[in-house]
Amino acid sequence: MSLFGGLEISASALTAERLRMDVVAENLANAQTTRGADGQPYRRKEVVLQERGGSFGASLSAAMNSSRPPSQGGGVEVAGVVEDQTPLKRVYDPGHPDADADGYVAMPNVDTVTEMVDLIGAQRAYEANVTAMQASKQMFARTLELLR
Amino acid sequence: MLFDTTQLALERAIEGAGTRHEALAANLANANTPGYQRVDVDFHGALASAIGRGEESREALHSLSFAPAQDASAGAVRADGSTVDVDSESARLAANALEHQAAVQVAHARIGILKAAMGTGI
Repeated sequence: MSLFGGLEISASALTAERLRMDVVAENLANAQTTRGADGQPYRRKEVVLQERGGSFGASLSAAMNSSRPPSQGGGVEVAGVVEDQTPLKRVYDPGHPDADADGYVAMPNVDTVTEMVDLIGAQRAYEANVTAMQASKQMFARTLELLR
Repeated sequence: MLFDTTQLALERAIEGAGTRHEALAANLANANTPGYQRVDVDFHGALASAIGRGEESREALHSLSFAPAQDASAGAVRADGSTVDVDSESARLAANALEHQAAVQVAHARIGILKAAMGTGI
Protein backbone atom coordinates (compact mmCIF):
# COMPACT_ATOMS: atom_id res chain seq x y z
CA MET A 1 0.00 0.00 0.00
CA SER A 2 2.42 2.54 -1.27
CA LEU A 3 0.44 5.76 -1.25
CA PHE A 4 -1.73 4.99 1.77
CA GLY A 5 1.57 4.39 3.57
CA GLY A 6 2.48 7.97 2.75
CA LEU A 7 -0.76 9.19 4.32
CA GLU A 8 -0.08 7.14 7.47
CA ILE A 9 3.45 8.52 7.79
CA SER A 10 2.20 12.11 7.52
CA ALA A 11 -0.63 11.36 9.96
CA SER A 12 1.87 10.10 12.57
CA ALA A 13 3.77 13.38 12.23
CA LEU A 14 0.57 15.43 12.62
CA THR A 15 -0.14 13.58 15.89
CA ALA A 16 3.40 14.16 17.14
CA GLU A 17 3.48 17.86 16.23
CA ARG A 18 0.04 18.42 17.77
CA LEU A 19 1.30 16.89 21.02
CA ARG A 20 4.29 19.26 20.91
CA MET A 21 1.86 22.19 20.58
CA ASP A 22 -0.21 20.82 23.48
CA VAL A 23 2.88 20.57 25.70
CA VAL A 24 3.95 24.12 24.79
CA ALA A 25 0.47 25.32 25.75
CA GLU A 26 0.73 23.45 29.06
CA ASN A 27 4.14 25.00 29.76
CA LEU A 28 2.84 28.51 29.02
CA ALA A 29 -0.28 27.93 31.14
CA ASN A 30 1.89 26.83 34.07
CA ALA A 31 4.58 29.48 33.70
CA GLN A 32 3.71 30.88 37.17
CA THR A 33 2.61 27.66 38.91
CA THR A 34 4.48 27.18 42.18
CA ARG A 35 2.44 24.15 43.26
CA GLY A 36 2.51 21.32 40.74
CA ALA A 37 0.92 17.89 41.07
CA ASP A 38 3.67 16.77 43.48
CA GLY A 39 3.52 19.99 45.53
CA GLN A 40 6.77 21.21 43.96
CA PRO A 41 7.01 24.11 41.49
CA TYR A 42 6.04 23.19 37.92
CA ARG A 43 8.89 22.02 35.68
CA ARG A 44 8.93 22.68 31.94
CA LYS A 45 7.97 19.59 29.92
CA GLU A 46 9.50 18.59 26.62
CA VAL A 47 8.44 16.03 23.98
CA VAL A 48 11.05 13.52 22.76
CA LEU A 49 10.35 12.18 19.26
CA GLN A 50 11.77 9.04 17.71
CA GLU A 51 11.57 7.33 14.33
CA ARG A 52 8.71 4.82 14.20
CA GLY A 53 9.72 1.25 13.42
CA GLY A 54 13.28 2.09 14.35
CA SER A 55 13.39 -0.28 17.33
CA PHE A 56 15.08 -3.66 17.03
CA GLY A 57 11.91 -5.64 17.74
CA ALA A 58 9.90 -3.85 15.06
CA SER A 59 12.66 -4.30 12.47
CA LEU A 60 12.97 -8.00 13.32
CA SER A 61 9.26 -8.73 13.05
CA ALA A 62 9.05 -6.76 9.80
CA ALA A 63 11.96 -8.75 8.37
CA MET A 64 10.48 -12.08 9.43
CA ASN A 65 6.88 -11.49 8.36
CA SER A 66 7.51 -10.00 4.95
CA SER A 67 9.43 -10.86 1.83
CA ARG A 68 10.00 -7.17 1.20
CA PRO A 69 13.04 -5.47 2.74
CA PRO A 70 12.13 -3.80 6.05
CA SER A 71 10.84 -0.32 5.44
CA GLN A 72 13.16 2.28 6.89
CA GLY A 73 10.67 5.13 6.95
CA GLY A 74 7.64 4.39 9.07
CA GLY A 75 6.91 7.87 10.31
CA VAL A 76 7.48 9.28 13.75
CA GLU A 77 6.27 8.51 17.26
CA VAL A 78 6.50 10.11 20.69
CA ALA A 79 9.21 8.43 22.80
CA GLY A 80 8.07 10.27 25.91
CA VAL A 81 7.41 13.56 27.63
CA VAL A 82 10.34 14.47 29.90
CA GLU A 83 10.73 17.19 32.51
CA ASP A 84 13.37 19.84 31.95
CA GLN A 85 15.85 19.51 34.86
CA THR A 86 17.42 22.96 34.51
CA PRO A 87 17.36 24.91 37.83
CA LEU A 88 14.18 26.72 38.82
CA LYS A 89 14.15 30.51 38.75
CA ARG A 90 14.44 32.13 42.21
CA VAL A 91 12.40 35.30 42.54
CA TYR A 92 12.45 37.60 45.60
CA ASP A 93 8.83 37.93 46.74
CA PRO A 94 8.52 37.79 50.57
CA GLY A 95 4.73 38.20 50.44
CA HIS A 96 4.25 35.01 48.40
CA PRO A 97 2.76 32.11 50.42
CA ASP A 98 5.40 29.73 48.95
CA ALA A 99 8.37 31.99 49.80
CA ASP A 100 11.21 30.38 51.81
CA ALA A 101 12.78 31.83 54.98
CA ASP A 102 14.87 34.30 52.91
CA GLY A 103 11.81 35.56 51.00
CA TYR A 104 12.68 33.79 47.73
CA VAL A 105 10.10 31.86 45.69
CA ALA A 106 11.14 29.02 43.35
CA MET A 107 9.36 29.76 40.07
CA PRO A 108 8.97 27.31 37.14
CA ASN A 109 11.87 27.08 34.66
CA VAL A 110 9.56 28.10 31.81
CA ASP A 111 10.90 30.74 29.43
CA THR A 112 8.02 32.17 27.41
CA VAL A 113 10.28 33.13 24.46
CA THR A 114 11.61 29.53 24.17
CA GLU A 115 8.06 28.23 24.29
CA MET A 116 6.88 30.60 21.56
CA VAL A 117 9.80 29.58 19.31
CA ASP A 118 8.98 25.90 19.94
CA LEU A 119 5.34 26.64 19.12
CA ILE A 120 6.26 28.25 15.78
CA GLY A 121 8.56 25.30 14.98
CA ALA A 122 5.83 22.76 15.73
CA GLN A 123 3.29 24.78 13.72
CA ARG A 124 5.53 24.99 10.63
CA ALA A 125 6.37 21.28 10.85
CA TYR A 126 2.63 20.55 11.07
CA GLU A 127 1.99 22.62 7.94
CA ALA A 128 4.81 20.87 6.04
CA ASN A 129 3.26 17.50 6.86
CA VAL A 130 -0.22 18.67 5.83
CA THR A 131 1.31 19.63 2.46
CA ALA A 132 2.89 16.17 2.16
CA MET A 133 -0.50 14.63 2.96
CA GLN A 134 -2.21 16.70 0.24
CA ALA A 135 0.47 15.58 -2.24
CA SER A 136 -0.21 11.93 -1.29
CA LYS A 137 -3.93 12.39 -1.92
CA GLN A 138 -3.34 14.11 -5.27
CA MET A 139 -0.93 11.40 -6.43
CA PHE A 140 -3.41 8.70 -5.53
CA ALA A 141 -6.25 10.50 -7.32
CA ARG A 142 -4.09 10.95 -10.43
CA THR A 143 -3.16 7.27 -10.50
CA LEU A 144 -6.86 6.46 -10.43
CA GLU A 145 -7.24 8.66 -13.54
CA LEU A 146 -5.46 5.89 -15.48
CA LEU A 147 -8.69 3.93 -15.29
CA ARG A 148 -10.76 6.58 -17.01
CA MET B 1 2.73 -7.69 -27.38
CA LEU B 2 0.16 -5.08 -26.38
CA PHE B 3 2.33 -3.18 -23.91
CA ASP B 4 5.90 -2.31 -24.91
CA THR B 5 8.88 -1.60 -22.63
CA THR B 6 8.07 2.13 -22.61
CA GLN B 7 4.67 1.45 -21.05
CA LEU B 8 6.30 -0.94 -18.58
CA ALA B 9 8.95 1.66 -17.73
CA LEU B 10 6.21 4.27 -17.16
CA GLU B 11 4.41 1.91 -14.78
CA ARG B 12 7.61 1.26 -12.86
CA ALA B 13 8.34 5.03 -12.80
CA ILE B 14 4.88 5.64 -11.25
CA GLU B 15 5.62 2.96 -8.65
CA GLY B 16 9.10 4.40 -7.99
CA ALA B 17 7.72 7.91 -7.53
CA GLY B 18 5.17 6.49 -5.06
CA THR B 19 7.89 4.78 -3.02
CA ARG B 20 10.04 7.92 -3.12
CA HIS B 21 7.06 9.99 -1.96
CA GLU B 22 6.77 7.70 1.05
CA ALA B 23 10.46 8.14 1.88
CA LEU B 24 10.26 11.95 1.56
CA ALA B 25 7.09 12.02 3.69
CA ALA B 26 8.96 10.00 6.35
CA ASN B 27 11.78 12.58 6.26
CA LEU B 28 9.30 15.42 6.80
CA ALA B 29 7.59 13.45 9.58
CA ASN B 30 10.95 13.13 11.35
CA ALA B 31 11.91 16.79 10.89
CA ASN B 32 12.09 17.18 14.69
CA THR B 33 13.57 13.77 15.54
CA PRO B 34 17.08 14.21 16.99
CA GLY B 35 19.85 12.47 15.01
CA TYR B 36 17.53 11.28 12.21
CA GLN B 37 19.24 10.31 8.94
CA ARG B 38 17.24 11.22 5.83
CA VAL B 39 16.21 8.43 3.44
CA ASP B 40 15.68 8.56 -0.31
CA VAL B 41 14.81 6.25 -3.22
CA ASP B 42 17.02 6.39 -6.34
CA PHE B 43 14.40 5.09 -8.76
CA HIS B 44 15.82 7.16 -11.65
CA GLY B 45 19.14 5.33 -11.49
CA ALA B 46 17.47 1.91 -11.17
CA LEU B 47 15.15 2.63 -14.13
CA ALA B 48 17.97 4.01 -16.29
CA SER B 49 20.17 0.95 -15.74
CA ALA B 50 17.22 -1.40 -16.43
CA ILE B 51 16.27 0.40 -19.67
CA GLY B 52 19.89 0.49 -20.83
CA ARG B 53 20.15 -3.31 -20.92
CA GLY B 54 18.81 -3.63 -24.46
CA GLU B 55 17.13 -6.98 -25.15
CA GLU B 56 17.01 -7.88 -21.47
CA SER B 57 15.45 -4.59 -20.42
CA ARG B 58 11.93 -6.09 -20.25
CA GLU B 59 12.97 -8.71 -17.69
CA ALA B 60 15.11 -6.14 -15.85
CA LEU B 61 12.11 -3.78 -15.59
CA HIS B 62 9.90 -6.61 -14.33
CA SER B 63 12.32 -7.61 -11.58
CA LEU B 64 13.03 -4.02 -10.48
CA SER B 65 12.36 -3.29 -6.82
CA PHE B 66 12.55 0.06 -5.08
CA ALA B 67 13.56 0.41 -1.45
CA PRO B 68 14.37 3.47 0.62
CA ALA B 69 18.04 3.78 1.59
CA GLN B 70 19.75 6.13 4.01
CA ASP B 71 21.30 9.12 2.28
CA ALA B 72 24.89 9.10 3.55
CA SER B 73 25.86 12.10 1.41
CA ALA B 74 23.61 14.50 3.35
CA GLY B 75 25.42 16.50 6.00
CA ALA B 76 23.93 17.43 9.34
CA VAL B 77 21.85 20.61 9.11
CA ARG B 78 20.93 20.76 12.79
CA ALA B 79 22.88 20.74 16.03
CA ASP B 80 21.31 17.40 17.05
CA GLY B 81 22.79 15.66 13.97
CA SER B 82 19.55 15.49 11.96
CA THR B 83 20.11 15.63 8.18
CA VAL B 84 16.54 16.75 7.34
CA ASP B 85 16.20 20.23 5.86
CA VAL B 86 12.45 20.92 5.76
CA ASP B 87 12.73 23.35 2.84
CA SER B 88 14.66 21.03 0.53
CA GLU B 89 12.52 18.05 1.53
CA SER B 90 9.37 20.02 0.63
CA ALA B 91 10.92 21.01 -2.71
CA ARG B 92 11.85 17.38 -3.47
CA LEU B 93 8.35 16.27 -2.47
CA ALA B 94 6.75 18.78 -4.86
CA ALA B 95 9.12 17.88 -7.70
CA ASN B 96 8.52 14.17 -7.17
CA ALA B 97 4.72 14.67 -7.21
CA LEU B 98 5.07 16.48 -10.57
CA GLU B 99 7.24 13.67 -11.96
CA HIS B 100 4.58 11.19 -10.84
CA GLN B 101 1.89 13.28 -12.54
CA ALA B 102 3.93 13.47 -15.76
CA ALA B 103 4.42 9.68 -15.85
CA VAL B 104 0.71 9.10 -15.17
CA GLN B 105 -0.35 11.50 -17.92
CA VAL B 106 1.99 9.96 -20.52
CA ALA B 107 0.83 6.45 -19.54
CA HIS B 108 -2.78 7.63 -19.82
CA ALA B 109 -2.16 9.12 -23.28
CA ARG B 110 -0.51 5.91 -24.50
CA ILE B 111 -3.46 3.85 -23.25
CA GLY B 112 -5.69 6.30 -25.13
CA ILE B 113 -3.73 5.63 -28.35
CA LEU B 114 -4.20 1.88 -27.87
CA LYS B 115 -7.93 2.38 -27.28
CA ALA B 116 -8.18 4.48 -30.46
CA ALA B 117 -6.37 1.77 -32.43
CA MET B 118 -8.84 -0.80 -31.09
CA GLY B 119 -11.69 1.41 -32.25
CA THR B 120 -13.17 1.94 -28.81
CA GLY B 121 -12.55 5.68 -28.77
CA ILE B 122 -10.49 7.60 -26.25
